[in-house]
Amino acid sequence: MKKASILMLITAIILVFAAGTKAQGPADVGWVFPLTGPYGAYAEEMKRGVEMAVEEYNAKGGILGGPIKVLIRDSELKADVALRRMKEYVDSGVPIVGGNLSGGISMIINQWANKNKILYMSTCHNNIGQGEADRGRYGFTSGIRSYMTGNALAEYAFDKLGKKWMVIAADYRWGHDEVAAFVVKSQEAGGKFLEAIYTPIGTRDFSSYVPKILALKPDFVVLAVFGSDLVAAVKQFNELGLTKRTKLVLPKTAVPIMKECGAAYDESIYGAVTWYWKLYEKYPNAKPFYQKYVAKYGGVPDADADSGYVGAWTLFKAMETVGSKTDTEKIIDTLETMTWNLNHGTEKYRACDHVREQTVVILQGMGDKAKNWDLATVVAEVGPDKTLQSCENDLKDIPYGPVLKNLPGK
Amino acid sequence: MELTWEIIILQIIMGLALGAIYVILASGLSIIFGLLDVLNFAHGTFYMLGAYAVFVAISLCGNFWIAMVSAIVIVALLGGLFEITLLKRLYGTEPIYPLLLCFGFSIFMPDVIKLIFGLVGKVVEYPKIFQGAAFVGTLILPKYRIFLVVLMGVVLLALWLFMNKTDIGMIIRAATRDRLMVSCLGINVSRVWTVGFMLGVGLAALAGVIAAPMVQTIPNMGDEMTVESFVVVVIGGLGSLGGAVLGGLLLGQVVSFVSFLYPDWSNVAIFMAMAVILVVRPRGLFGEEGRA
Repeated sequence: MKKASILMLITAIILVFAAGTKAQGPADVGWVFPLTGPYGAYAEEMKRGVEMAVEEYNAKGGILGGPIKVLIRDSELKADVALRRMKEYVDSGVPIVGGNLSGGISMIINQWANKNKILYMSTCHNNIGQGEADRGRYGFTSGIRSYMTGNALAEYAFDKLGKKWMVIAADYRWGHDEVAAFVVKSQEAGGKFLEAIYTPIGTRDFSSYVPKILALKPDFVVLAVFGSDLVAAVKQFNELGLTKRTKLVLPKTAVPIMKECGAAYDESIYGAVTWYWKLYEKYPNAKPFYQKYVAKYGGVPDADADSGYVGAWTLFKAMETVGSKTDTEKIIDTLETMTWNLNHGTEKYRACDHVREQTVVILQGMGDKAKNWDLATVVAEVGPDKTLQSCENDLKDIPYGPVLKNLPGK
Repeated sequence: MELTWEIIILQIIMGLALGAIYVILASGLSIIFGLLDVLNFAHGTFYMLGAYAVFVAISLCGNFWIAMVSAIVIVALLGGLFEITLLKRLYGTEPIYPLLLCFGFSIFMPDVIKLIFGLVGKVVEYPKIFQGAAFVGTLILPKYRIFLVVLMGVVLLALWLFMNKTDIGMIIRAATRDRLMVSCLGINVSRVWTVGFMLGVGLAALAGVIAAPMVQTIPNMGDEMTVESFVVVVIGGLGSLGGAVLGGLLLGQVVSFVSFLYPDWSNVAIFMAMAVILVVRPRGLFGEEGRA
């Protein structure tokens, strides 16, 4: 009798939950970020950006008379998990998907999305639209094309820091893209390439490379690694006095990285980001974003929060303009032509390949002068006209494709 | 690039320093396995807790050395609590049960740390006295790395003295050999196990403390260290303290030189070294026959 009562209770609970789920209906957009794993802190930033866009729209009544609903799940930084989550969204009636924090995973999702005519908004550094195989109508990116940050930083480095350079790069597509960007710019600027070292993701000991770097005496070392690897490299290079003898240039840095490195992230370190919180002084429309973030989460928003926010916000704006949350074709048409003025001034997605045309910000570390979240100085902001190749070049993947096929040091 | 003697010396120092962390970490794992026959899959978690404990302690007292001792004591006590309340219940059961308990703890605890400290890692600065490097001509002598090598020597000496010259150390060694005989002598073996587990966990915490200034202090920092410490122990021979020392030093040099000469292979080098050693000597360098 007791067992039967418990069984009935469990059945009742399941039915209540099932009814609740059904009444809720499918979400408008399904997002996937690597919330666990080595990029968890940065994924959390993207997630917060999406949440802020949702709150902003829902505070003014949502779209088409109803609130915006999104789902956010974890990819564990695994391509198969990310793709499975995307498929689960689509199978459960979610019409639009977005997210990710790996260029490689974004490319896989993008190819799947284009094949299945699913609108996909990538939020990270990636190569969507670069090369024929990766260009399609259904993929957008509110992040940035990987080579753009490398391009901007290389221009700055060869102009201000010197000509002799070497690189330590993560041994996957994003790291290779940054090497290619520096190689091309080096040829243009008369740079002297010394050495390339490729490290697997998860490398924790970078001190072993110090003797080689000291022997080669580069003017600057390109450090195209990210996450835990980058924190370990900066701390160890600083410990061994390397930052007193050469400069470090980081094609992708982030507020959590600067914070975690502490005083080791000193004035000899130059890093590229797509957005930095201090830019609200230049772009007034960024101030509400900054203020809401600080009030809601504490800390300051990072570039990844901006990517998530802009990706979600532009999708919602396009839905609102079209008057539909599900008409993918019309939403794409709108995204291709719309402009917005949020955290970076006026921006748009380039119609030919759907990459967000945005500036790259170059930051210089502050070392022990850093206080709270004031971690870096903005030393340059480079517009997309100087970093983004033409549509035609990108379609043929020039000038980077040939370099990628014959990477130095490989 | 030419392999000059300065480079070779520096690589050896780097390898010794890395090896020091491996040695300290794996010694703890080896003691726990030798004494309790428990494969402590939470060893990397205690390493992570050591790093967070030193961060908290430095925030409170501002002194690296006081914080270091405090962190080891705190984590060792936490380990003792874990052993008394959870692990002890599983002694005498199938080996898979304590293993699963430790594995579960290694999943649960990083999430607790995430909830308390957030996802952004914490900064543990180098102790002031060991910041930077000394330069002797063209030779670089990284102060903190040299300190780690010296510390490893001190820890090993202290461990040897503790195990061989103190009553409790000798009891631990005896219990490792024959726990029944030790209990027949009227010694509370259960308490010996607790002390042994705390000692092993304390060593893991020490490894976390000294690694914290060099790496990213994040909740999942121990995941890979658990695997790597098992590699060290397997190479050295399961349950052998001497084996853990030799295995750790060997792996430190392997990683250091492979990173320099063939960076692409740096992450798999230790597994290749393990495979080679196991092919040549399946029980590990100092392992007892029938135990591996």
